Amino acid sequence: MGCGRAQTHKRLCQDCQRWPDNGTFHNIALFTYNDAMHRYFQQYKFQGDYQLRRVFAATMQQAVVEQNIDRVLSVPVTPTTMQTRGFNQVTGWLAAGMNQTELFTKAKSKAVPQSKKDRQARLQTPQPFELTTAVELAGQRVLLVDDIYTTGRTMRHAAALLMENGAKTVTGLTLAR
Amino acid sequence: MDPRELYGRQVPLTASEAAMLPDNCKLPAMLVTKQLVQCLRCGSQLDRKKAQLPQQQFYCYQCLNLGRISTLTHLYHMPEPNDFPTRPACTWQGQLTEQQKACALTIRENFEARKRHLLWAVTGAGKTEMLFPGITWALAQGWRIALASPRVDVCLELAPRLQAAFADAKIAVLHGRNPEPYQYRQHTICTTHQLLRFREAFDVLIIDEVDAFPFAANPRLAYAVKHAVKADGALLYLTATPSQALQKQVHRGELGISYLPLRFHQHLLPTIKVKLQPNWQQLLRRGQLPRCLVWKLQFYLDKHQRFLLFVPRVKQLAPVQAAIQHYFPELAGLTVHSTDAERLEKVQQMRDQKIQYLVTTTILERGVTFPGIDVIVLGADDEIFSTAALVQIAGRVGRSKERSTGLVWFICASHDRNIKRAQRQIALVNRKGRRLLRATLSPLSTAHS
Repeated sequence: MGCGRAQTHKRLCQDCQRWPDNGTFHNIALFTYNDAMHRYFQQYKFQGDYQLRRVFAATMQQAVVEQNIDRVLSVPVTPTTMQTRGFNQVTGWLAAGMNQTELFTKAKSKAVPQSKKDRQARLQTPQPFELTTAVELAGQRVLLVDDIYTTGRTMRHAAALLMENGAKTVTGLTLAR
Repeated sequence: MDPRELYGRQVPLTASEAAMLPDNCKLPAMLVTKQLVQCLRCGSQLDRKKAQLPQQQFYCYQCLNLGRISTLTHLYHMPEPNDFPTRPACTWQGQLTEQQKACALTIRENFEARKRHLLWAVTGAGKTEMLFPGITWALAQGWRIALASPRVDVCLELAPRLQAAFADAKIAVLHGRNPEPYQYRQHTICTTHQLLRFREAFDVLIIDEVDAFPFAANPRLAYAVKHAVKADGALLYLTATPSQALQKQVHRGELGISYLPLRFHQHLLPTIKVKLQPNWQQLLRRGQLPRCLVWKLQFYLDKHQRFLLFVPRVKQLAPVQAAIQHYFPELAGLTVHSTDAERLEKVQQMRDQKIQYLVTTTILERGVTFPGIDVIVLGADDEIFSTAALVQIAGRVGRSKERSTGLVWFICASHDRNIKRAQRQIALVNRKGRRLLRATLSPLSTAHS
């Protein structure tokens, strides 16, 4: 259980303890978000160098395969981002056919991206997602994939939505924490 | 945004920035056909697979640092109207030598005729000052001009000198590390990378140190130059070491050429002396230096002669420095390379004569003057030393009136092609220089060649 943060002890980290679900949400994070990772995301996501998806594609796909799940969903980007960036940074890592983005963002665009907010502002973000049409989630174990786990707000919003719609379990997978 | 900022430019804008602009300033950013994916900013022909985005979109991975271009964006451009209210004058008070004057006149004539021209002036000839008359004339015509160099150091060195020489008109200085926003000005100094953001902007475009890295190795920059200058604009290349490609253009008559083979103090370039020492690297691995070099260093120690010692690789700096200190602990010197955090301080110490020598890589090949030094290149046959680099390195010697000669000494395992070419280039300009000296000294002469 927990957010996947690298630590030397087995207790829940401070951030997880602060969540009302008391860290029952489980996230797998493959790498620590450090300076090198920051530069990677600058170049890949913000500068838009889509080629760099290859750097972590194999690692991410391997991690997905290792999970015991029925369905993979990646966290979506807004239509505006899709219009300017031209790609979803999470979908970029996953092989074609592996993910089906069934979540949609409610807003056309984000006034302030998550990466520009502080912890308080992030935590107050309202549910940004909705489920389109009737997706059969009943009894399914879902893996939810995102790029970075920071406060856990985005992940929990998406997970809550999936659980409401009948998912059996929701596990998170992020490249970095 | 102010539409004037688009005069002669080609930049991608966000939707909100582009909102108020007329539709006719919008140009496609990429060309996608069955055979070809091309970026219309940097001209690169892209690998279709690498440039692919989802949903049949493409982006350019070559000029990403300037802000990404893709099939999702447009380039915004407005034709250059030369909308300059004032006519700045030259405020420079200095004097040109006779030969500089002749060159300056040629430059001006080429601007007037809107021609492409190469000025081959030896290292230490005073190239910048020779530009002033031509620039003054062009500014007076209301022309838009730019002086671009592949190296940001060169731009930073030129900017204050040109600003002082044209004090009435603010010069725009553009390079990757400048946080100031772009402004429309008649006179621009920029790195050649920044030219990728211009389209048919300049009536006169001057490229300084055209042989320097990365210009020679980067076809995008040549494309940038071609498109930044107006179709009927003048283009002037300045160099002390023209590449084979440029010399070929001269031979084919596509490019005019003029020479300034003498330095400002009227002396010839020092010639290169080569010493074959095939085992210098083995010696170095044992912490030793070739005996010939040890003797030379002993001589320098006795005479207090200052010098630069070039090595091909950063990783050789420390062993060479250790070996020198092993033989001569009393000799004061430092090592310096491009990513050295104290690079500027160390160079300053050398300038201030606080140290007797620097062991360095090619970063000190150009743009620096230490009066009265000698230069030794260890491993001059390494592929990292291009012909241009070697001529530039040789050009560090004899730059002062007081000591117009000095030793240029290449220690190498083989007398390779680049070294031979460098020697030939120096011999060629010296031949021209000697002819010029004879012409000016002889009472019978009336004109320069």
